[in-house]
Amino acid sequence: MNIGFIGFGTMGAPMAGHLLQAGHALHVWSRRAAGADFLVERGARRCAAPAEVAAASEIVCTNVTASDDVEGLAVQLVEALAPGAMHVDFSTIAPSAARRIAALYAERGVEFVDAPVSGGSAGARNATLSIMWGGKSALAPRLEPLFSVLGKTIVRVGEVGAGQVAKACNQMVMVAAIEACAEAARLAEAAGVDFALVRQAMLGGSAGSRVLDAFGGRMAARDFTPGVEARLHHKDYALLMDEASRIGAPLPVSAAVWQQLNALMANGWGSRDTSALLPVLEAAARQ
Amino acid sequence: MNVGFIGLGLMGRPMALHLERAGHTLHLWARRPESLAPFAAVNAKTHATPAQVAAHAEVVIVMVADAPDVETVCLGADGLASGGKAGLIVVDMSTINPNAARSIGLRLAEKGIEFVDAPVSGGETGAINAALTIMVGGKAATFDKVKPLLEKMGKSVTLIGDSGAGQVAKACNQILTGVGVLAVAEAFNFAAKSGVDASKVREALLGGFAYSKILENHGQRMLDRNFKPGFKAWMHQKDLRIVMEEAHRMGLMLPSAAATAQVFNAIVGSGMGENDSVTALQLLEKMSGKDE
Repeated sequence: MNIGFIGFGTMGAPMAGHLLQAGHALHVWSRRAAGADFLVERGARRCAAPAEVAAASEIVCTNVTASDDVEGLAVQLVEALAPGAMHVDFSTIAPSAARRIAALYAERGVEFVDAPVSGGSAGARNATLSIMWGGKSALAPRLEPLFSVLGKTIVRVGEVGAGQVAKACNQMVMVAAIEACAEAARLAEAAGVDFALVRQAMLGGSAGSRVLDAFGGRMAARDFTPGVEARLHHKDYALLMDEASRIGAPLPVSAAVWQQLNALMANGWGSRDTSALLPVLEAAARQ
Repeated sequence: MNVGFIGLGLMGRPMALHLERAGHTLHLWARRPESLAPFAAVNAKTHATPAQVAAHAEVVIVMVADAPDVETVCLGADGLASGGKAGLIVVDMSTINPNAARSIGLRLAEKGIEFVDAPVSGGETGAINAALTIMVGGKAATFDKVKPLLEKMGKSVTLIGDSGAGQVAKACNQILTGVGVLAVAEAFNFAAKSGVDASKVREALLGGFAYSKILENHGQRMLDRNFKPGFKAWMHQKDLRIVMEEAHRMGLMLPSAAATAQVFNAIVGSGMGENDSVTALQLLEKMSGKDE
């Protein structure tokens, strides 16, 4: 299949590689031309503009940072995508932005699917991502061969925007759990108890979780190299808290976690792993 | 003076009428024509677009709901910028994001139009009694030119600082009033659930360090179970959203405001957004198992 790909960050780069590996013809564009070199060397075709990607592809994939980035690309893609073509966006953006793009495409008979992912850079490298997508159910057969080379858990959550709602839920549950880990580590530390042993004990019990394993492990090792950079989680919180305000949903715990993320950013730790929520608590207790 | 006024809602209508009573000629445009009815008998001219209002006025006052509305009125098609001559002053009295205010000010400046942000506190009562607190951001020279107009609508008119500073002051005001109203509601619910008369608690606290206007006024309305606005809860929710957006942008930790904003989300989500903010008490009661 002719597939377009735009956005080669820590997530997008390995995902595009998997598609190439699976035998698809890949058409790529990168804001910094060098960003796509590693794919061009492996046989991908370099395009001069997003529209050129769109003109050559049955499905265009994007994996960029913010709602504005995706909407900016959509305006360029829509002119060149053939009716029946599809844009699959793996970015984490506002559900309302996803719905706006779908409406823009609908006039041209182009399909839009929001397909944010969870699983981090390791999940992207190992093709074990969780993909939560929103879009017409009739598109599933066309998406299946694409998604199956990228991820392990693939769920259609609902219509366009539903994937982003699921991703917001994912971020709330995960980062709140990271904060809980950080608070447990802080309590153990302050009480003079080794958190590495506390974590080890907890992993076997009811509080065991993937977050306690991975993020708790990094906290115990005091290794704050990302993983996922905390600034990206911070960005996601702005989206989900804005959505909560728009629909009148109270999220008291998320609001508190959000403030801890604000404090993390204020300390200049946005490029560290989100397990740096632990030093935020330590900074608050410093004499 | 020829004064334009756009945004003739609960707050804007009495504010505009104060200016007319002070001898100014009003130039009006309204999205909904029925908003113009109260001005039929006074010295006011109505126009087809904001651009035409700008063409006839030396100062235009804007009092609308949120930043996108201010942007449309100022910079949209047939907006103030397309009709205003260089030297026009736009006074935005809406409550919007400080950063949005700065950006609108800069874009109007490109057309030679001066801009100040001048959000208000004091609610509908303050607007009717010309007793508003007005917090202004902008150049001192521009402030001096519009101060006499603002004094017809408010009792306290303060230049806080540069463009956006008025909105920052308003955001601070909304942190204090939002958290304050919720604190009073929590205290009263706590008293009532403990079997203690909340009105006696209020009376006692008014003499101590917990005294505040919110305890006095909002507290009384809670005791009277008077939930009519005043200041609508959905607007308080919107203002707290602005506060939290700015906190996010700057990396600022606002734990109490964040928690309070969630209670306002719940108020709006449960269909109580048109009530006054003191409806927070009803939400707490509902969540503590009291049937309303």
